[in-house]
Amino acid sequence: MPQYAMVIDLQRCVGCGACSIACRNENNVPDGIYWSDKMTETVGTFPDVRFHYIPTLCNHCENAPCVRGCPTGAMYKLDNGITMHDPDKCIGCKYCEFNCPYGVIYFNWQTPHPFWRETTPLIEGCTLAASEVTKKAGGNTLPYANPDREETLPGIRPKGVVEKCTFCDHRVKKNLLPYCVEACPANARIFGDISDPKSKVSKLLGKFRPFRLKEHLGTNPRVYYIRGYNPAQYEASKGDV
Amino acid sequence: MNEKKTGYGIWMGGLGICLMGGLYTTIKLFQEGHTLFHANDVIVWSLPLSIYIFLALSSSGLAMLSALPTLFGIQRLEASSKRLVFLAMATLCGGFLAISLELGNMGKMLYFILSPNLASPIWWMGAIYTAELIFLGIKFQCLHKGQETSFSSKIAGTLSFICALLAPMILGTVFGMTEARAIYFGPMLSIFYLTMALYSGTALFILYTMVCRTLESDQPASNAPPIDAVFHRLFTYSAAAVVIITLLKTAVEWSTVVPEFVTLRSFSHPFTPLFGVPMEVVVGLFLPLILLMIRPIQKSTNGVLITALLAWIGSLAIHTRLLIAGQSYPVGPKAEHYPEVLAYLPSAWEWMVALFAISLMLLLYTLGERYLKLGSCRVDKL
Ligand code: SF4
Ligand code: SF4
Repeated sequence: MPQYAMVIDLQRCVGCGACSIACRNENNVPDGIYWSDKMTETVGTFPDVRFHYIPTLCNHCENAPCVRGCPTGAMYKLDNGITMHDPDKCIGCKYCEFNCPYGVIYFNWQTPHPFWRETTPLIEGCTLAASEVTKKAGGNTLPYANPDREETLPGIRPKGVVEKCTFCDHRVKKNLLPYCVEACPANARIFGDISDPKSKVSKLLGKFRPFRLKEHLGTNPRVYYIRGYNPAQYEASKGDV
Repeated sequence: MNEKKTGYGIWMGGLGICLMGGLYTTIKLFQEGHTLFHANDVIVWSLPLSIYIFLALSSSGLAMLSALPTLFGIQRLEASSKRLVFLAMATLCGGFLAISLELGNMGKMLYFILSPNLASPIWWMGAIYTAELIFLGIKFQCLHKGQETSFSSKIAGTLSFICALLAPMILGTVFGMTEARAIYFGPMLSIFYLTMALYSGTALFILYTMVCRTLESDQPASNAPPIDAVFHRLFTYSAAAVVIITLLKTAVEWSTVVPEFVTLRSFSHPFTPLFGVPMEVVVGLFLPLILLMIRPIQKSTNGVLITALLAWIGSLAIHTRLLIAGQSYPVGPKAEHYPEVLAYLPSAWEWMVALFAISLMLLLYTLGERYLKLGSCRVDKL
């Protein structure tokens, strides 16, 4: 059984956010919820400043605190290492969200996509209501809903349960790359089987010194980061006292 | 007599209104979801959960006290034993109501039994508290039938006592085992909750007894100590134990350089801390301990009443602050969407849930006193 992992090359990443947009489309992610996200940080004092951008997603931890803590087994591991969520078993206790050290789980506080459920037209007798647009487009709640998502998970999760990134398990099952990987214009996301020494991810991990988020917690994330984009130059010196 | 009947009617009417309000809130929650709460993806658990912690711990404390006559042979307390067991059950029912309204999808609770995760502290917490309720129910049944010395009464008494000890500690691990939140202090929280259970449970029992006695007599109680000395002693010891743990916790909080604590220290909080100790700890813990050590105060009804009230309400404030403080800072990328530190004030709906849970508990107390011959205190006969 392959063991999936992702390498994110921070030298290639340009911070365009295409991964996050692709993820929203692929997984019908509601507003206010982010399966694919980022952490940014500005350091230094002008003019010596730098902006750091780290794309984030579920780390599909080997020792996943969300899985350990879930009382009903709604959060569980697939044999290929993907951390999955079953909304049908989820009681909405939010312990996984409380417990995830990476802040990548979100709760559906209300029925998702309220805008597209609107039944009143914006201009009476002139425009369609949002829900009518969806109906005419033949979508599920959203006119642009991706039906493929329904293969392994409710296409749109109900209110009262949590949701998070699944490494696009429905695509991986069909030997397709996660959609964020596919959509990245800079090829900064590399996906593959970490148990295969010949895979691209294994090779990159051997070539560059990777780091993972909050490694000291022992969660063993399956998302690795390599390199870092920095074109800055400086004059060689030994500093001063 | 008529006056008393009117009082009883008003009391039941008031409870009825609160319960109706609670039912309305439940329907709204089903319809609109937890967006009605002032919780979000950073502060995921709010007032309803702290009400649960507060009531569940108080119930464990009461269950521990109920073991004094039945398990530890303090015979002079036998008169209180049935009432203690019933109060523990009713308080736990209030707690269960609060937590069920915190859950997003109560309808799926069956999976708690169908696919249990034995590695989950939340699962154990639910299982042990349910077991505690069942054993207390059996114990109550035996006491009600006058079979306090029967085999099943002894077994149920022993098991309910073990559950009452375990449950607060497991509740502590729910928070203490989270890798994400250092502020909950790991295993220390289990010990803290255990002592808080005894503290708030004893406070609740003393408060309840005092209210009953005040209602029973037309005059304020005499100068004689109205509560058995053992309850008073346990109240004092548990208060002292919680104070020691709190001081230790505070010392660590203020001296550690673990980033979460440093951030916590760098913001000013409402009800400004006094020398690093939050106000609710001063009023709800330190002050009751001081009052408990002043004999003349403990000899007067009002003194005892005020001490117990401060301790019990203070426990709720302590639990709420602890729960919220550990969640006030966004984790990971959530910092991109939320401020660096979040303030929290419960919404009206959250207060309604709190009122619902406490009203249910009070309704059960009232009905128990009326129909189950818990002791001499019969609110309906007043
Ligand atoms: S990153 Fe969070 S949600 Fe993903 S596997 Fe790890 S603990 Fe679970
Ligand atoms: S919210 Fe759902 S998935 Fe998360 S711990 Fe609770 S039951 Fe499990």
